[in-house]
Amino acid sequence: MAAVSVEIPPRSPYVGVVRLALAALGRASGLDEEQVDELKIAVGEACVNSVLAHEEAGSEEAVLVEYDDDGSTITVQVSDRAGSVEQLGGSDMQDSQGFSSRLAFSVALLESLVDECRFEPRDGGGMITHLAFRR
Amino acid sequence: MELGLDVSTVGDHAVVEVKGEIDVYTAPKLREKLIELVSDGSYNVVVNLEGVDFLDSTGLGVLVGALKRVKAHDGSLALVCTQDKILKIFKITGLTKVFPIHPSVEEAAGASA
Repeated sequence: MAAVSVEIPPRSPYVGVVRLALAALGRASGLDEEQVDELKIAVGEACVNSVLAHEEAGSEEAVLVEYDDDGSTITVQVSDRAGSVEQLGGSDMQDSQGFSSRLAFSVALLESLVDECRFEPRDGGGMITHLAFRR
Repeated sequence: MELGLDVSTVGDHAVVEVKGEIDVYTAPKLREKLIELVSDGSYNVVVNLEGVDFLDSTGLGVLVGALKRVKAHDGSLALVCTQDKILKIFKITGLTKVFPIHPSVEEAAGASA
């Protein structure tokens, strides 16, 4: 299947658009509905983290989502210009009352639902979230 | 994407029936409704998630925020959910230990009465 990429404005309504598009791609790749649900959740979380980082930073730069399927592994890469690897695991993960934060929930979902999840700094600023789903 | 929110009363519980997808776009609407209920004096709340197709970390954050608000008034927040794909979200994030999750509104309202 050909690689597909889509750029979205860093605004919350577009996260749902990416989820729908990636769900359709996942079905075209032969995933079953449970796997499609997991793909939607994981991609949605990566996009939410990027979009919220952009909103916090006041950045208007696009978030890039790339999907590829080599027949054995589906990879999704979400690249932004505002996210920070440092915030993952830092004080943003828990609130003052000891409750886990939204970001902590997001990272837990990402790390649980995909076979491989990596966060890397992006050249020129921002963060890249790599997700891999092995068949 | 629309998020449907219907509020009713069962005993002394405010029951919020949610329909649709709870995500970064729609979660603020749920947050506003839950804040409004607590502000109006409803400290025992049941959130019915049976009509929810999708739930993300933003929605979880809203539910945790509401739990903190009702706890500040010695209240309760219980969830209704039997869908495996939604229950999985709560299990992965450890929130099954934080929220009482029931199979029906009646049980949720009865358990925390």
